[in-house]
Amino acid sequence: MSVLIDGILAILAIYLALQCLMAQRLTQTVFLFFAFGLALALAWIRLGAVDVAIAEAAIAAGFLGVLLLDALRDFSPTFSQKQKNPETGQNPPGKDDNKPPFLPRLALGFGLGLFLLISLEAIWKTPEGGGLTAASEAFLPESGVEHPVTAVLLNFRAYDTWLEIGVILMGLLAIFVVGGIRLYSRPFTAAQDPLLRQVILFFTPVLFLFGAFLLYFGKSGPGGAFQAAVLWGAIGILLHLGGRPVFSVMPRWLLQLILTMGLGFFLLLGFLLMATGNALFEYPPAYSGIMILIVETLAAVSIAAALTAIFANVNLMKEDPNQTESTT
Amino acid sequence: MTDLPTSPFPALLVGLPFLLATLSLFFSSKGKAVVGLIGSFLTALLAIVAFVEVTQQGTVIHILGGWEPPLGILLRMDSLAAVFIGMTALVGVFISLYARGYFRAQEDSSEGFPLFWPLWLFLWAGLNGLFLSNDLFNLFVTIEVIGICAVALAVLSGKKAALFAGLRYLLAAITGSMAYLFGVALIYGSTGTLDLALLGQVLEPGPTTTFALLVITPGLMIKMAGFPFHFWLPPAHSSAPAPVSALLSALVVKGAFYILLRLWTEVFGVSLTFAAGQLIGVAGAVAVIWGSWQAFMQTSLKLIVAHSSVAQLGYLLLVFPLLVLAPGVTADSADWLSPAWTAGVYQVIAHAFAKASFFLSAGIIIMAMGHDRIESFRDLAARMPMTVMAIGLAGVSLIGLPPSGGFMAKWNLLQGIFLSGQWWWAPAVLGGSLLTASYVFMLMRLAFAPARKKEPLRPVPFRLQVFALLLALGSFLIILPAESLIQFLESSQIFGSGIESIVEGGVYGND
Repeated sequence: MSVLIDGILAILAIYLALQCLMAQRLTQTVFLFFAFGLALALAWIRLGAVDVAIAEAAIAAGFLGVLLLDALRDFSPTFSQKQKNPETGQNPPGKDDNKPPFLPRLALGFGLGLFLLISLEAIWKTPEGGGLTAASEAFLPESGVEHPVTAVLLNFRAYDTWLEIGVILMGLLAIFVVGGIRLYSRPFTAAQDPLLRQVILFFTPVLFLFGAFLLYFGKSGPGGAFQAAVLWGAIGILLHLGGRPVFSVMPRWLLQLILTMGLGFFLLLGFLLMATGNALFEYPPAYSGIMILIVETLAAVSIAAALTAIFANVNLMKEDPNQTESTT
Repeated sequence: MTDLPTSPFPALLVGLPFLLATLSLFFSSKGKAVVGLIGSFLTALLAIVAFVEVTQQGTVIHILGGWEPPLGILLRMDSLAAVFIGMTALVGVFISLYARGYFRAQEDSSEGFPLFWPLWLFLWAGLNGLFLSNDLFNLFVTIEVIGICAVALAVLSGKKAALFAGLRYLLAAITGSMAYLFGVALIYGSTGTLDLALLGQVLEPGPTTTFALLVITPGLMIKMAGFPFHFWLPPAHSSAPAPVSALLSALVVKGAFYILLRLWTEVFGVSLTFAAGQLIGVAGAVAVIWGSWQAFMQTSLKLIVAHSSVAQLGYLLLVFPLLVLAPGVTADSADWLSPAWTAGVYQVIAHAFAKASFFLSAGIIIMAMGHDRIESFRDLAARMPMTVMAIGLAGVSLIGLPPSGGFMAKWNLLQGIFLSGQWWWAPAVLGGSLLTASYVFMLMRLAFAPARKKEPLRPVPFRLQVFALLLALGSFLIILPAESLIQFLESSQIFGSGIESIVEGGVYGND
């Protein structure tokens, strides 16, 4: 039975990925991408990696999908213009012009197919190394948490996690650098639709509680800062879409603090620990549990704010408040 | 490895620029520049202090979180890492000083690019982290940090050409990262460890290891713009603002080379064949000739300099065939290893100084003229003597004429080539130098030729020209401490070591 489920999942994932690549319209691509992400999440569950599954579903399928949808809406004026033209001449011109000649495509496809086959063989032949599961289980009692994945992320390899939190902030900076999509700014409207207002009223506390639960539950089971951050980020996005852009009512320094405090506190704590003679990120065993919880909570808030800012495209680093509104 | 002396410096070298970058976000545009500049000085100072400590204590380590590998991550600062960190500090400080003046001179149009400073400090932290890292996965995280900062910096100007080039750069960088990560997953799956030192002991030859090598090497070559994956470099590097071009060409691409060098010599020794070394050498040789030729054919200064980077990075790839020993040769009898290593390290340092100076000079010329088409170079020697001198000196170092750092690199490379009997690389090295000489002398000839009509020059802050010239001089001054530097590098475990290849084997070479 399980072989059957796994087989169907594997075929489904590959099928959705292919469909996603081959879809004619961008809207189809985006929705197939949603589905593909969920299929992958199911596959991760089947592989026993529940943490990865939650992250995959929340970030890859959920957040990325929402971003893609948003981008699609921003660009829809340009696309619809382009798609109107070809109606007279059957084929969309943009597609045929960009098509590379047949031979290179064949060579590329052949090369990729060969690569896939060889990599499958390599993966097949990979000897079982066992990984570091045993080692992380052995040191689990000293880590301050009960879930090995959280112990690895926040204690054993906290350095990597800290850098990754930094990468999110840098990604946000990169978006600020590009300046966001100024051309297609939308008019700022509060939610008039009573249904939408009720939905926001209902989902905001639910999402908040569920995020907090995932965050706290990360101590002993699948969950943690990143997963909670996506749920909290969803609150920000929901409020933004409902015409209540949370960021525009906050002073700028507060926003900057929220965005950077996860990274900053993590590092300052590390430096503080270094000052007392320990290594960077070396928690004293007695306090490691509570320290990890604080670090995770602040990181989750920061990441949630970053995700909302990426979506809402608020340029927090610009000083001119008028400009912020026009880009929102 | 864990019995080496511990030191807080490796952690601080990553943490301090990171903290300063985060801190600078809270300041206004002007404040960001000030914090960025102070941060550059502090980071450079820290790097120098750490360098001195390594010269006195030998390799120092920092066990992050107190968890020893394989479970935890260990930062290792040996002499090779110290040299790379020191180079980053020296070149970085000059670029920071230049950037302050450069952006201030353009403030009216672009608000002074305030985000340059946090991104550059993050980038610096990432580079330091990469040089210090001793862990396959941590290396992946550092190349992510570097990659995202580099792309963001490349599109800083926000112009259409820069955005196009930046997107290409991003896609190339992500492809490279994914290939690398795939290889890391295979290795972790088969050995259960990520620590480079441990991997060097436990990694066994076999199809998995060979395949991991086969995906990791091209992945990193995409990142370092090695031929034939160099396509993203010229547009991305030439369309960025001058200080950014300098950072990208002088420092960022060297990160991927450093990982490649570490992995080939410390980890993948068991799986390498003589042919693999030759193959990467061919890529290097083609890059040297092709890149130099392309540079010669360009008509705008920044594109010349960007294509020249492709060629100069090719020289770095030429080091690899010398490091892989033919079957039956042992490292003790291979007397060309030390020149080959010296050539590699000196090529990295000399190119960093010379290319940074070249790009900064190009920025000065663009600032003065409003464009960088080379036909308006005429009579530049009389009008901007300092900048022309900087370009000339940097060019001499790139060609490899004595007494420059580039000469040190190319001379040692040739020495290594002839000592090892692999004479077939020599034409590429010499031909590359000749072609480099062609485009440098073409620029010089134009600069000394009389002008038909003189375009008015806009004023350029004097300081900028000084910084560019100092960097060019730096590419000469680095040969002064050559003897002690090589002695220092010899204390590094891998310096002067070769990779003993195995020939018998099946489909992948070592079944």
